Amino acid sequence: MEPDGQLKPSTLSTKDLPWQVLWSKEKCSLCGLCTAVCPVQAIELGVHRKRVLQITLGLMEKPGNVFGVYHGIRQRTDVAHACIGCGMCDMVCPNHAIMPVHNDEPDKLRFHIDQGGIPRRRGGRRNAPGSLLDEIKFVRISMLTDPALDAGRHEFELRTLLGRILSPEEALRVSREAGWIPPVREIYPLILGGMSFGALSPTMWEGLQMGIAYLNEEMNIPIRFCTGEGGCPPRLLRSRFLKYIILQIASGYFGWDEIIHALPEMKEDPCAIEIKYGQGAKPGDGGLLMWYKVNKLIAAIRGVPVGVNLPSPPTHQTKYSIEEAVAKMIQSMSMAWGFRVPVYPKISATSTALAVLNNLTRNPYAAGLAMDGEDGGTGAAYNVSMDQMGHPIASIVRDAYLNLVKIGKQNEVPIFAGGGIGKNGNLAANAASLIMLGASGVQVGKYIMQATAGCLGSERDRCNICNIGLCPKGITSQDSRLYRRLDPEKVAERLVETVMSFDTELKKIVAPLGRSTSLPIGMSDALGIADKSAAERLGIRHVI
Amino acid sequence: MPYKPPIMIPGSEKGIRVDSRILEERIQKAVADGYRNIEIIAQGQHGIGGRLWRAGDEPLTMRILGTSGQRVGAMGFPNTMIDVVGPASDDVGWLNAGARITIRGNATNGVANAMAQGKIFVAGDIGARGMTMTKHNPRFDPPELWVLGSVGDSFAEFMAGGIAVICGVGKEWSDNVLGYRPCVGMVGGKIFFRGPHQDYSEKDARLTVPDDEEWRWLNVQMEDFLEAIERAALLTELTADRGAWKLLVARKPYEKTGAPVRNFHRFRAEVWDQELGKGGLIGDLTDQDRSPVELITTGDLRRFIPLWENEKYLPPCQAHCPTGFPVRKRWELIRKGKMQEAVDLALSYTPFPAAICGYLCPNLCMQNCTRQKGDLPAVDVTLLGKASLQAAVPAPAPATGRKIAVIGGGAAGLSVAWQLHMKGHEPVIHEMRRQLGGKITETIPRSRIPDEVVDHELKRLEEEIPHKHLKHPLTGEEFRKLYEKYDIIVIAVGARKPRIIPVPGHERVAAALDFLRESRLDRAKVGKNVVIIGAGNVGCDAAAEASRLGAQSVTLIDIQAPASFGVERKNAEAAGAKFLWPRFTKTITETAVELTDGTVLPADTVIMAVGDQPDLSFLPEEIKTEKGFVVVNEKFQTSDPKVFAIGDAVRLGLLTEAIGAGRVAARAIDDLFRGREESYDQLPAIDTERVKLEYYDPRLPRFEDPLSCAAGCASCGACRDCGLCETICPQNAISRQDLGEGAYEYTVDAELCIGCGFCEGACPCGIWRLIENDTLE
Repeated sequence: MEPDGQLKPSTLSTKDLPWQVLWSKEKCSLCGLCTAVCPVQAIELGVHRKRVLQITLGLMEKPGNVFGVYHGIRQRTDVAHACIGCGMCDMVCPNHAIMPVHNDEPDKLRFHIDQGGIPRRRGGRRNAPGSLLDEIKFVRISMLTDPALDAGRHEFELRTLLGRILSPEEALRVSREAGWIPPVREIYPLILGGMSFGALSPTMWEGLQMGIAYLNEEMNIPIRFCTGEGGCPPRLLRSRFLKYIILQIASGYFGWDEIIHALPEMKEDPCAIEIKYGQGAKPGDGGLLMWYKVNKLIAAIRGVPVGVNLPSPPTHQTKYSIEEAVAKMIQSMSMAWGFRVPVYPKISATSTALAVLNNLTRNPYAAGLAMDGEDGGTGAAYNVSMDQMGHPIASIVRDAYLNLVKIGKQNEVPIFAGGGIGKNGNLAANAASLIMLGASGVQVGKYIMQATAGCLGSERDRCNICNIGLCPKGITSQDSRLYRRLDPEKVAERLVETVMSFDTELKKIVAPLGRSTSLPIGMSDALGIADKSAAERLGIRHVI
Repeated sequence: MPYKPPIMIPGSEKGIRVDSRILEERIQKAVADGYRNIEIIAQGQHGIGGRLWRAGDEPLTMRILGTSGQRVGAMGFPNTMIDVVGPASDDVGWLNAGARITIRGNATNGVANAMAQGKIFVAGDIGARGMTMTKHNPRFDPPELWVLGSVGDSFAEFMAGGIAVICGVGKEWSDNVLGYRPCVGMVGGKIFFRGPHQDYSEKDARLTVPDDEEWRWLNVQMEDFLEAIERAALLTELTADRGAWKLLVARKPYEKTGAPVRNFHRFRAEVWDQELGKGGLIGDLTDQDRSPVELITTGDLRRFIPLWENEKYLPPCQAHCPTGFPVRKRWELIRKGKMQEAVDLALSYTPFPAAICGYLCPNLCMQNCTRQKGDLPAVDVTLLGKASLQAAVPAPAPATGRKIAVIGGGAAGLSVAWQLHMKGHEPVIHEMRRQLGGKITETIPRSRIPDEVVDHELKRLEEEIPHKHLKHPLTGEEFRKLYEKYDIIVIAVGARKPRIIPVPGHERVAAALDFLRESRLDRAKVGKNVVIIGAGNVGCDAAAEASRLGAQSVTLIDIQAPASFGVERKNAEAAGAKFLWPRFTKTITETAVELTDGTVLPADTVIMAVGDQPDLSFLPEEIKTEKGFVVVNEKFQTSDPKVFAIGDAVRLGLLTEAIGAGRVAARAIDDLFRGREESYDQLPAIDTERVKLEYYDPRLPRFEDPLSCAAGCASCGACRDCGLCETICPQNAISRQDLGEGAYEYTVDAELCIGCGFCEGACPCGIWRLIENDTLE
């Protein structure tokens, strides 16, 4: 309650909050580590009154009172300091005396988190723990019908193609006429989806890039990383590692003059260019990097002055139609590298995706289409955009693939799927499902943060404060006091472990299907699901 | 069993191939019949030579001519010696449990698959997946596969035991005698080979050379192998150069090297930084330290730092006192045993500490006392106010000779005169009445304050400051003379001109202040029914006095909810006065007050208490006024810089507000005399949430004496020097520094502090504040 005892509409009790901090007076040693580490100052030292009745047995003497005071950890209940459930207090507590626990009923904070008339904004994913992808099973196990493979023994070529692939007739014609053959990259089917320098901390970004380089150069895994919209550090642009990078251009166009200036000094072409039109986590909405996050480093990489707001509008300002957007952007980006680099758009999954896809099939420069589903993560978005906007990825990938099949171009325009892959830890299975539904590869972001840096975010709304720069793990913070908690070498190491483990799991899925040298793209007869309507919608087996 | 001669079993009858099942039956029967030397003319039948256990311990020789089928010697027994005179098809020696199988030519895929005992000699090359899944059962000798030439792809996959020897004869042209990627999943056994090789599964196998014992074994067994395939002439060539032989040995489980070879620290130094430059990805853009830090940090790396904000904020009592009285400071002095000093302090702020703080003030200090937020009674300042009667008069500053005419000897005028006097100037009070004190002595009912208190405090002032009794209202002419004569004029004439609402019959009403003035002198008379128009505090005072003078019914009416409060309101209610609102007066008759709603209130006496206005008829036109009040700036200076105006002449207010205005004006005048430019901003009030009230006993219902008040004062914003912060700090980072002469401060050792905020959480007075540390760029 308010100290003056006045009840206000937004006066909350601890029970009204999403997370309750359980504290044990008995175990607490008052060391101060929990209050020092709490990212949002949800806990503080409290002064508490204490009263003990002194009663002698037999009641022969007059009972008395002893009043006193003790100190302990107190949870704050005002909206701005509500516990986010990250559990860092528990992590640092030497005595396991403190821990947040989730409310057993829907919290009341949600009705008050719009103080000042500003709706809730946050990072993370749609707060919905379920995943259709998790329900999909691989039901076609080769044994005697066709050669079963052994994931541990056979050599696998888990590679996919990014780029416009000409039909055999077309390829023959073009090579006969010594014409232009679109660039195609043979890459790993798992791509680290757009996470910008700025959304991620310098240590996180460098750690991931280092891991990518390691995977490519030490482990022979041609994995790629998309920069997101935030430019690319000048040194990386001028290094051989650029070939592992997909450069993203989005509606804010940040850092592109630096990229253009680096063109004459590039040792390698980038893997590809991704034109971002939409993001699964916040479809149809733009972004704003707040001025106070635009420090020296970010300003240099994005090519802007320090301390200014950096808006990315919801749309590209000069593109008024699909035709124009695709024609202008894809052609222009292709020209920058002499038509040697694949260029493809990324859109949020939407019921209008097929219109985009059909347009791309008629554009010889379009290298593919990336689609990002509603379960995708973000560093900052309005809660309403995150929770209620967007389209599931599975059905839209399926629709797109079947549409390509219908026009005979299923092997020509690759589809990349993202959004909630590995949401519940099943990265390889979710990826394999999407591939068998028709994707040529998958883009992942949030899973990577969880696996490589211990991101605490969850779909039960744990932590999810990426947007305010206070990430307790230093993943999304620009404050060196926080991001120095992260050692880039350890991030790189975890990325390698994660991808190697994904690789083995993917093999464990595709080997029993009898595939080792080509990805089972669109091999939907291998998939089954218990939900009949899902089976019908996706055109896969109904298995119960 | 008697000796049986060799037997030949044909693989075809009358030109028709015998089925594998029939041939197997015939072979088994021959063995059962005692034949131990069998020759087969094979026509591609499978599984020849296996499972011949019926021979018991007796050796059994089998020659296979023609075309042998798959799985020659499959499940072979230790007594069996098979000699295939020519090449063999797939899976030679599959699941071999002891047979010695010689192939005089090449063999196709799967040779020795899952073999556990026995030997297989191949005089040529073998196909893919040879020596896969082999075993070594410790009860028996390990199985052996000898190949004169080279082996095909995927050799020794999942090999779990046994010995393979690949001689590489005739393979001088090849760059690989081991095929593509041998040894995947190999967990046991060894492979001797001679000749070049390519990649093998380094995860599973280790490349080495034969040691002496192994070399000896190879030499001895080689003779046996070459004899079996009748190529003894090759012995010299194969054993001449020990250096030509290499050995692949299965790694033991603890030798498995799944992990990448280059560690990440080395990769960063040798690859990453090498390509990008020193400092890696952004080494060219920043030289900021990015090395890893702990979760709990000290010094510059703390996210939050504590500040000791002692006396950086005003306590609410002082912040809300219009006089600006340092209420908290006085309790502190008392806690330190300096009672007299606490009492004496009063006269630096007001000439009426007892009359106003002790009796007449609504005590805004107490109304805003932090303790009330914790349901604790406010510290009772009236106790200390009353004690101020004994305060000693401080010595004034050295005389400056500056003269100030103060027009009006009420609370405001006396306050400004008192302050100017203390600052060494010479104020002269011009009062038109016989007595100083203004409302205090003129209109405030005696019931509110004992005469001796007022007399004492007025006497104290009169002894210090000269004053003139004009005995008539100031004229414009007189004002002009004063203006010429004095350095500064302060107008403090109060508001003595009653406002009368011109309703019909208003000639009948008595103005409240006139009534109160008269009643104080016991000269006023009231009828049985009294109606007071205006239910503010003055109206309430009038109501209480009317009742005292014998009125039987007193009614106060107002056009809105009455603004009266405090003692005045309480006294009026105690006297039985009725409050009516909203009510609008229509007419005042001889016997009643008629309201617009038609009500008729019987009234023998009608008193109008709707406010008063200053009489400014003396004021020159150049000095600005607004709605009858003098216009001043925040220093109470009028549009004429030489003229100041304070008190009710500027704005109607409380006595304490008049006293405060006098203090501010005196300070401004002093600044003017001394040529100082000063800011008049006072410190902000402390956020009372910072003050901890849990340290005080919640059961004390009220305060009995100044000492218990002093103990109960929460000392908002001013350190009590209790040392709790020093004690609670888990890092021992806080310490008290003695600055001499009773001064001290608490400081934080940044290198120990972790920014936990415990000092802030525990501090009773709200001195410590945890703030975000400066941004690190």
